[in-house]
Amino acid sequence: MTRTDLDCEEALRRLFEFLDHELAPEERDAMQRHLQTCRSCYSRSEFERRLKAKLHELRQDDAPIDPQERIRRLLQSF
Amino acid sequence: MSVSKEAFEREVLALLGSLSRVARRFVRNDTDAEDLVAETVARAWRALDTLQSEAAFRSWIFRILHNTFVSDFRRARTRAEVAMPDTDCDEAEFSLYEQLHQPFLLWYSNPEQAFLDKLLREDLERALAALPEHHRAVVVLADLEEFTYGEIAEALGVPVGTVRSRLARARCALQKHLWQQAQAYGLSGEAAARNGSRINEREA
Repeated sequence: MTRTDLDCEEALRRLFEFLDHELAPEERDAMQRHLQTCRSCYSRSEFERRLKAKLHELRQDDAPIDPQERIRRLLQSF
Repeated sequence: MSVSKEAFEREVLALLGSLSRVARRFVRNDTDAEDLVAETVARAWRALDTLQSEAAFRSWIFRILHNTFVSDFRRARTRAEVAMPDTDCDEAEFSLYEQLHQPFLLWYSNPEQAFLDKLLREDLERALAALPEHHRAVVVLADLEEFTYGEIAEALGVPVGTVRSRLARARCALQKHLWQQAQAYGLSGEAAARNGSRINEREA
């Protein structure tokens, strides 16, 4: 089985797919190998990962509407 | 596909928080968001025979949410709002990391970490709200709700390739907004070198 190694340009091009868990297993492995050996790409990856995590936190802190009762009444009417 | 009323109720109630959050980000006021969710559930019940499998329930009901928003809510809302311009990002042409990693900012030793440490919820909310609707939708579904690209494509009724390009442009635009905010707080060039990081003042 051949192993694919990424250069920095390709790693950065696929970075968001990696962070979004959209890469195939062998592509993900190649990305992880690259990030383990390239300080520059690792630093960029960590920045994008933390920024993405901060965006995700908007969901947890959200105080959205709570239509629970309205929807329960609606479901009972079906 | 036959889904029992009990299964439908169970799926709807399990997704109610997510439906409510996404609706709130589409219409941006609580009353309309609650109406949008209720109308979505009513339409989903009537369209239950279009559900391919129970496993596809999430993307199926979010597609109904999006279609309901487009047909019933967006038109009313855009009459009251000034239409937002599209982003000026071509794919991933702008990188906040690259901006923060410039030599004059390395004076801070690690400006990108400092930036993230000081980034407030309100900064992100403002940047997200400034995105055009179709870009805000993909960021909300991908980053807040953790949909796969395939689920986003199904929910928005577009090809997966369109999801990829919209996400790239949306993230580019979001990072541009954050960079503009960082500049406004003083984390840029001469102002940063002269004043120190005014971004730190926001902690006080």
